[in-house]
Amino acid sequence: MAEDVKPTRKNLMEIEDRIELSERGHDTLEQKRDGLIMEFMDILDQAQDVRSGLSDDYERAQHKINMARAMEGDVAVRGAAAALKEYPEITTQSKNIMGVVVPQIESSRVKKSIDQRGYGLLGSSARIDEAADAYEELLESIILAAEVETAMKKMLHEIETTKRRVNALEFKVLPDLYEGQEYIEQKLEEQEREEIFRMKKIKAKKEEEEKEAKEADKAAAKEPGTATAD
Amino acid sequence: MSQEIAVIGSPDFTTGFRLAGVRKFQNVADSEKDEHLDAAVEETLADDDVGIIVMHDEDLAHLSRNVRKSVEQSIEPTLVTLGAGGAGGGGLRDQIKRAIGIDLMEDENQ
Repeated sequence: MAEDVKPTRKNLMEIEDRIELSERGHDTLEQKRDGLIMEFMDILDQAQDVRSGLSDDYERAQHKINMARAMEGDVAVRGAAAALKEYPEITTQSKNIMGVVVPQIESSRVKKSIDQRGYGLLGSSARIDEAADAYEELLESIILAAEVETAMKKMLHEIETTKRRVNALEFKVLPDLYEGQEYIEQKLEEQEREEIFRMKKIKAKKEEEEKEAKEADKAAAKEPGTATAD
Repeated sequence: MSQEIAVIGSPDFTTGFRLAGVRKFQNVADSEKDEHLDAAVEETLADDDVGIIVMHDEDLAHLSRNVRKSVEQSIEPTLVTLGAGGAGGGGLRDQIKRAIGIDLMEDENQ
């Protein structure tokens, strides 16, 4: 790559500017990556709590629905499930964590009273109600988990991108620029040495020519004298 | 914009969520998961009204590689998996290993 660059002072100055910018960018991106990782660790702790709560809620909900199935029969449970009219809704807002937009999910109509469920008081039993309750709680945990896990996914994506940029600068862009800088500096030094050598040669040649001219003048000045003496 | 929760899985898995009012669901019987689960997931992913997809963790093994990757990496809708110890929804653990360089979920599972 370095051989592609023309070894001129202008190019050297350009490369030095790019090195300065890349080094500054590298430091900033490293700070951003570290900051993102710290924020991510906080979210991870939160996610682990949410996950363990989710597992407990799922187990409880499964237990309740199995009980309802055993006592009331599968058909009754399915019938109650098919009668539901009110459905839970979620709305997503966003917040910004170090430039990463993460969602804040708000839910409505997740928890419902018996009369809002639609299957009627006579058509169901306490066990079906308990199962519905348990699944409503599970849904609330799922919504929380979705919020935290989406934030994690987005943060991880940003960390990966930043890390790739840091690595590209550290292992590709900056080494190439340093190589280019070194190549131009060496070439310019070589040109300078050649120039000095050439100047010295010219100077020596000029001095020799001057010396020869002086000797020729001297010889010419001596010639008439000799002739007079003869 | 308000969105809904969708559940994909066997009828036994989805019934409970329907009791809680979830009306977007895809029933795929256990014996048909290898053939029909991919299509059910793709259809749900394409639905703009769905904000969260709920699946059982073991069902992810029935998905083809591409569908599994797209559902695991999807941010909207987000996948939340249940069961199997809950090591973090779909592929999150691998993503953490790749991005951070270490397995931060290791302690949780031991």
